[in-house]
Amino acid sequence: GVLTHLEMLEARAYEAAVKQEETEQQGEKLARLKERARELRRQRDELRAKVELQQKGQGGKEGALSDPAQPSARAVLEWKIKSLKAMLQMFYLTGISGKLTKRGVCFCVSTAYEGTYLDSYHLDLLTQPEVQIYRHSVPTFIPLEQVAKKYLQTDIRRFLSVLSDHLNAYAGRRYQADQLQEHFSDQLEGTLQRNSLCNLLVFNYHVSNQSETFLFNVRLLYGDLCCCLPTEVTVSCTPGAPACLAATAAAHSDLFRRTALHKAFRSFRRAEENVD
Amino acid sequence: MDNSNCQVYEDEIQSLEEEIKQLAELYEDSQQESTFFSDEEILMSIKSFQREFRRESKGHQSDLKAQLESLERDLSFLMKFTGIQFTSHSKKTVEKTGNRTVQKHRLSGNCHSLSFQIEFQLLEMQNKENVSAVISDLSIVMESGEDSDMSKFVSSTEEHGNLVTLFRSLSSYAEWHEHRRRTFLHFK
Repeated sequence: GVLTHLEMLEARAYEAAVKQEETEQQGEKLARLKERARELRRQRDELRAKVELQQKGQGGKEGALSDPAQPSARAVLEWKIKSLKAMLQMFYLTGISGKLTKRGVCFCVSTAYEGTYLDSYHLDLLTQPEVQIYRHSVPTFIPLEQVAKKYLQTDIRRFLSVLSDHLNAYAGRRYQADQLQEHFSDQLEGTLQRNSLCNLLVFNYHVSNQSETFLFNVRLLYGDLCCCLPTEVTVSCTPGAPACLAATAAAHSDLFRRTALHKAFRSFRRAEENVD
Repeated sequence: MDNSNCQVYEDEIQSLEEEIKQLAELYEDSQQESTFFSDEEILMSIKSFQREFRRESKGHQSDLKAQLESLERDLSFLMKFTGIQFTSHSKKTVEKTGNRTVQKHRLSGNCHSLSFQIEFQLLEMQNKENVSAVISDLSIVMESGEDSDMSKFVSSTEEHGNLVTLFRSLSSYAEWHEHRRRTFLHFK
C-alpha cells in the first residue's frame, strides 16, 4: 500500500544521495590527484633544470655548492665521509677490502669474471691470541681449511690471495656454466650436469652437419681449482656417427681447452649463422 | 570515466616521484663529485664542528667525527695491508635512471712501487637483493710501461679484465720485481 510505496521512495532517495556523494568524492579525489601531479611535475622540472645547469659546468666552489656562502663544518665532514666511502668501494673492486673490528679484521673477497663482478665472500678474523677465522661465508666445497692451515699463521696476505684465486676461479667456472644455460640452451640437449664446485661439467649439445643434426657429449674436468679453463676435455659423438665428425669433435675439444665455455658456444652459433 | 582518470594520474604521480628521487640523488652525487676540500679544511671543520656542539649533550654530534675516523682507519689499514695506495680518485655520475647508475672513475696510485693511473666506467644495477656491478672501458697507464711483459699484460687486462685481475697481477709482478732488485743488490 502507501507505506510500502513510501519506503520505496525513501530507499530510492537514499540511494540517489549516496550516489551523488560518491560522484562528488570522486570528483574531489580527481581534482586532488590532478593538483598533486601538477606540483610534482613542477618539482621535477625544477630539479631537471638544476641538474642541467650542474652538468654544464660549475664555476669553482661557488657553483659546486648550492649556496655560495662558506659550507658548514657538517657539510664538509659529510663530503669527506662520502669520499672515503667511495675510496673503500674502489678497494672492493680490487678484490680485497675490509674493515677493522674490535677484535681483528673482517675481510671481503670479491670475485669477478671479465668485467662482471660476481659474489663476494666475508671472513671475520680474530688476531688475538693468534690469527683465527671466527666466521666466514666461504662455501664448504672451497678448501678453506687447507689454505688456512698453510698460510694463515705465517702470511695473511698470501692466505687471502690464494683464497681469492680459488674463489675467483670457482666464480668464473660457475659464470661460464650459467651463461651457457642462460644463453645457449637451444644448442644443449637435456640438462647440464655440474657439481657444486663447478669443476666437473657433463652435457650434450647439437652439432649440425649440412642436413643432419648429431649429438655430442662433453665432459669437462677442471683439475686446477684456481683456473677457469678445463684441464681434461672429452668430446664424443654418438656411436654410428659419420667419420668426418671425429675431426669436428677434436676441434671442439681443443676449443674447450682454450676458450671460455660460453664464448666457444657463441662461436658455434656464429659459424652456424654464417653457413645459413 | 572517473576511475580510469584517477588511475592515469596515480600512475603519473608514481613515476614523477621516482624521477624526482633519482634526479635528487643525481644532483647530490654531482655536488659530491665536483667538490673538493683539502685536508686542512677537513681538520678545521672537525674542530669547528666539535666547538659548535660541545654545549649540546646529544650523542649524535660526535658520530660524524667517529665515523670519519673509523673510515680513515679502515682505509689506512687496507692500503698498508694490500700495498695499494690510492693517491687520487675522482668520479662522475653520467647516468642515473631506473635502477641503473653509470659512473666514470679515474683512480691513481701505486701498487707497491708501481705507479698506475686507471680509468673505467662502472655500471651498477639495483635488483631485489643486491647491486650488480660491471666494469667497462678500462684504460690502464703504468709508469713502467716500457716493459714488454707489462704492456702485453696491460692490453689484455684492458680488453677483458677487471680490477681484481689487474691488482692481483700487479702485486705478483711487484713482488717478483722487488725480489729481483734485492737479489741484484746482493751481488753489487
